[in-house]
Amino acid sequence: MYGYVRPLKGELKVSQYESFQAVYCGLCHELRRRYGPASRFLVNYDFTFLAMLFSSGQTPVCEMLHCPVSRLRKHRCLCSCPELGVAADYSVILAWWKLRDGVHDENFFKALAYRLSSGLLRGAYRKAQKKQPEFAEIVARRLVELNALEADRCPSIDRMAEKFALILQSAAGGVSDPARRRVLDELLYHVGRIVYILDAIDDLAEDFKKGNYNPLVYRFSAQNGALTDDDRDSLRLTLRHSHNSVISAFALLEKNPWTDILENTVYLGLPWVTEMVFSGRWKEQKEILKHH
Amino acid sequence: MNDPYSVLGVSPSASDDEIKKTYHDLARKYHPDNYHDNPLADLAQEKMKEINEAYDTITKQRERGEQGPSSAGGAAYQSYSGGAAYQQSYTGANAAAYAQIRNLINSGNLQQAEEMLGGISTHDAEWNYLMGSVYWRKNWMDEAARYFRTAATMDPGNVEYRNAVNYMNRGGQAYRPYNMGGQMTESDACSCCAQAYMADCCCEMMGGDLIPCC
Repeated sequence: MYGYVRPLKGELKVSQYESFQAVYCGLCHELRRRYGPASRFLVNYDFTFLAMLFSSGQTPVCEMLHCPVSRLRKHRCLCSCPELGVAADYSVILAWWKLRDGVHDENFFKALAYRLSSGLLRGAYRKAQKKQPEFAEIVARRLVELNALEADRCPSIDRMAEKFALILQSAAGGVSDPARRRVLDELLYHVGRIVYILDAIDDLAEDFKKGNYNPLVYRFSAQNGALTDDDRDSLRLTLRHSHNSVISAFALLEKNPWTDILENTVYLGLPWVTEMVFSGRWKEQKEILKHH
Repeated sequence: MNDPYSVLGVSPSASDDEIKKTYHDLARKYHPDNYHDNPLADLAQEKMKEINEAYDTITKQRERGEQGPSSAGGAAYQSYSGGAAYQQSYTGANAAAYAQIRNLINSGNLQQAEEMLGGISTHDAEWNYLMGSVYWRKNWMDEAARYFRTAATMDPGNVEYRNAVNYMNRGGQAYRPYNMGGQMTESDACSCCAQAYMADCCCEMMGGDLIPCC
């Protein structure tokens, strides 16, 4: 999706980092098992977070598997389990809709590229849609609403962020225990809200240059695609609210085998990424982390 | 009841001091201030009750000499104020409508509250405050902050509006363990008083009162 929701690596114990890697690699293999080798590029940190969050609490079982990137040695991967399956289904659905969204891009060649890559994913999407019809329906509906608001040049960050927040919230749709469901609803809503706002901040300069819609341009009348200190304070404040809501909700979840890594993600990872986005160093940091 | 030690997440062989510290950390984690006007407040309250009961059980057991030598002290965090209610007595043209809107907000009927507010053409301080309250409960924090600020600017003498702005400016509140970006407190007794005072301020913001003298 975006990769904003990830643990702060430097603060993980080595054992925790290895466990996190095992879930990430497990998701990659689950995508291959369910949707074929082409879908592997969809593996990302945000859905790894979801897979850990949705864990049933059972002790995880791992296996050693070859990695398509570094074929020489085997990697420890989390074995197929329901939460990995759900995360893989959601990854495909969200990716497909995001690609379909790009088909309307004004640049002809870009639109063509989106059309071709979404064509590649069509089979996978149909399969995922059958498995998660409700999630697919909600993603489609919310993205249509987002597009309509974009066309109206909506000046409200809250209104825009809500549509995306509701998409992420609906990922908890399969959780049957009502109290747990409520906690996850609240947590995912605010994670989605944070992701949307961070993405808007991160893309602001580029959107401004290209004349693309970005809610911050209309909310703050950003000069030359740059935010004033007051604008930044407003954004920090509203992000802090959502971050506190995420933490308060997270405190109410039962412990599971990934709690330590999830804690790191919620308490340290999110604020770190937020700072990187505000300082304009996020894209550079993301590249650096890719090579480790 | 569940095993009180597993509720607190400590070993039965833990010392009185360890148990007391764990209890205080948990009580801070589920403190009502962290769930102020939060849809999960009832779940946090339940959790707090479990923790208090577990701690009381352990202290009593140890007093009777069943485990460990001495008392670790009684549970301190008993009070958990429930959902804060918006209350205000009105006079003026829109008095009846405002009172009704407050009731709608309190009962969680945000859509109707928003519709009624949309039907009122004079946008005075109270209108802005109520609009902010609706948005706050909808998780639209950016809009809520703007309406609260407008209300406080239009009527600077109103304590309720000012408290709402102050609360918004803090950006909410949540517990962070000290190794996860939180801060170690020097004295538990001190923070307990500070938190009680904060809870009182929050209650007053919504028209209630926890500590009558301040």
